[in-house]
Amino acid sequence: MVVHSRRLFQTPWEFRESALFTAVAVIAGFAVQYALSGHGVAMPHLPVNAFVLALFALLILSIGLGFREAQAIKWFGGIPLGLCLIFAIALLSLIGGVVPQVEVAPGSLTALLGLNRIFSSWPFALAILLFLGNLGLSLSWRLVPLRLKNLQFILFHAGFWIALSCAIFGSPDLQRFVVPIEKGKVSNLGYTMESETPQPLPFSIFLHDFSLEEYPPQLLLYDPHSGIIFDERSKAAVLIRKGITASWSGLDVQVLDYLPYALPGKNGVPEPADRKAGIPFAKIRIILAKTAPREEWITTGSPMVDTRDAQAGSLYLGIRPGTPKAFRSTVTISSERGEQTKATLEVNHPVNFDGWKFYQMGYDQKAGRWSQVSVIEVIRDPWLPAVYLGFFMIMAGNLLFFWNGVKRTEGAS
Amino acid sequence: MIVNFTTAAIVAIACWALGSLLSIIARHTPALKLPGFILSFGGSLVMAGFIAFYWLLLDRPPLRTLGETRLWYAALIPLVGFLVEYRWKIEWLKYYCMALAAFFLGINLLHPEVFDKTLMPALQSPWFIPHVIVYMVGYVLLAASSVTALHNVSLQLRHKEDNAGESVSHYLALLGFVFLSFGLIFGALWAKEAWGHYWTWDPKETWAFLSWLAYLGYLHAWRYKIDSAKLQWYLALSFVVLLVCWFGVNYLPSAQNSVHTYSQS
Repeated sequence: MVVHSRRLFQTPWEFRESALFTAVAVIAGFAVQYALSGHGVAMPHLPVNAFVLALFALLILSIGLGFREAQAIKWFGGIPLGLCLIFAIALLSLIGGVVPQVEVAPGSLTALLGLNRIFSSWPFALAILLFLGNLGLSLSWRLVPLRLKNLQFILFHAGFWIALSCAIFGSPDLQRFVVPIEKGKVSNLGYTMESETPQPLPFSIFLHDFSLEEYPPQLLLYDPHSGIIFDERSKAAVLIRKGITASWSGLDVQVLDYLPYALPGKNGVPEPADRKAGIPFAKIRIILAKTAPREEWITTGSPMVDTRDAQAGSLYLGIRPGTPKAFRSTVTISSERGEQTKATLEVNHPVNFDGWKFYQMGYDQKAGRWSQVSVIEVIRDPWLPAVYLGFFMIMAGNLLFFWNGVKRTEGAS
Repeated sequence: MIVNFTTAAIVAIACWALGSLLSIIARHTPALKLPGFILSFGGSLVMAGFIAFYWLLLDRPPLRTLGETRLWYAALIPLVGFLVEYRWKIEWLKYYCMALAAFFLGINLLHPEVFDKTLMPALQSPWFIPHVIVYMVGYVLLAASSVTALHNVSLQLRHKEDNAGESVSHYLALLGFVFLSFGLIFGALWAKEAWGHYWTWDPKETWAFLSWLAYLGYLHAWRYKIDSAKLQWYLALSFVVLLVCWFGVNYLPSAQNSVHTYSQS
């Protein structure tokens, strides 16, 4: 018997045709990118992008339902092409995961092919567009006729389609501004990453107060000449607390007293002060081999008070300000229409107002606790609800997938 | 504190080693089966106990550094081995799993991390624990899937078929994919609250997406009924992408601006 293997482009098309098609698409994408001397895809804003996306969805749906028996359409919405496109997207993402996505010299090959901006490059856009087509077609066949047993498929695939398409088509409408404000002042100017000229925003922010909480300061043993910091015996970061001990070879240190908020007093003994002005002081006992124990007050210092370290043989012991534990700004936000809200902004706790989200972003790091500036980030993303709808559909589909998977394993065992 | 980790790790490894030994002997002496299991399970319990103790000591979930995630991994992966044995009566996977757990504890023993109670503000979120734990469970399942697939590949090379083994690697990958998807989306929802946008192609995000695509590809290839024997190779190798995502990203040139490098803080 003679076995006839399928020739290239002999129907039904499968992996070889899909791989070839995908490769041509990606190469064409790179060619376009190169021809445009590295300029990525420019996309329209609302409402044009929403209209284009709706049209695209309608087109896929009508092609999928109108020509569901056509060989070419079956192939276009099939798993082999889907797999090849997943592979292409993975490959392009791999470039993005290895090549730093930063500005490079405009004439370089990296810039001309868009390798440093792969996620807004033509090959990536083309691969995603084809993938949305492929995913959309397979979805249309499960949507009509609607059956309950396809629920998991529909939730997962439609969720993915919605999240992906809205994230990509909606990206031009994402607005992000950084607003630096001084304490006691008001600002309505936002900076973008791309430009140094600020833009007026449709609201203003008044900064009442900025406060920063730190972890307790850290006790360090260092060599003043080389700058080397020595690890404590247990390899732990020694956070100052009254009563703790720390040891290095030949040196033991006890923390006899700790004042988180104090100011220098008479005879070098610090006196407790209020939270605003006070700085950390620690009284330590230094026990060096072959010498009598010594007690000393040391402090982290501040912009107003000198740092004080203690000598221990040829080395020094010091305390350094702890890393930030929390920082927050009390602000009043006012819209152009006169609406007002007073809010506290903190990392991980953004505040919504008038379609914008307000984030605590940063502060003057040199000044630390004494920073007079708070950096707020404001973001508007009108497409967010659609993307989240997609996310929640994917998660719902996933729960069903998990459930069915577990049920099927019972059948398999 | 480090002394406690050394003790806990050595006790856990000893439990797994002795438990494995007893389980192997139990093939001829069934009376040893239960003590073997109790010892092996005890190893994971020791690690779980240590994690709880460490959590209290740190005043924060021990999920920040790579070394801390390895603790969870070491506690959880043997459990997958036990579950597979219970569910599919496949015994050998648990040995691989316990060896992998011991290996991860070994890395921590060789490279002790600085005990550090601080937790940067971006990580202080209700999303922190679900995001990392869901990922850890996903990684554990996919590691077990990859080990099973490797075992299947080695059987193929010796011309032995094992259909049960292939279905185990498949179901572990399926469950792992579900957890990976949840981890990815939890991460996106958290990123929106902490950094302002749900997706910024940060190198860690890119690699997490790549790992997810790898298993998405697998599930579709399986659905298309591609030769299951060939897919064992695919599953065995997919885990490499995951490992790059977990440990390797920090060493890549693209990671210079990543928001996900907490270990060098």
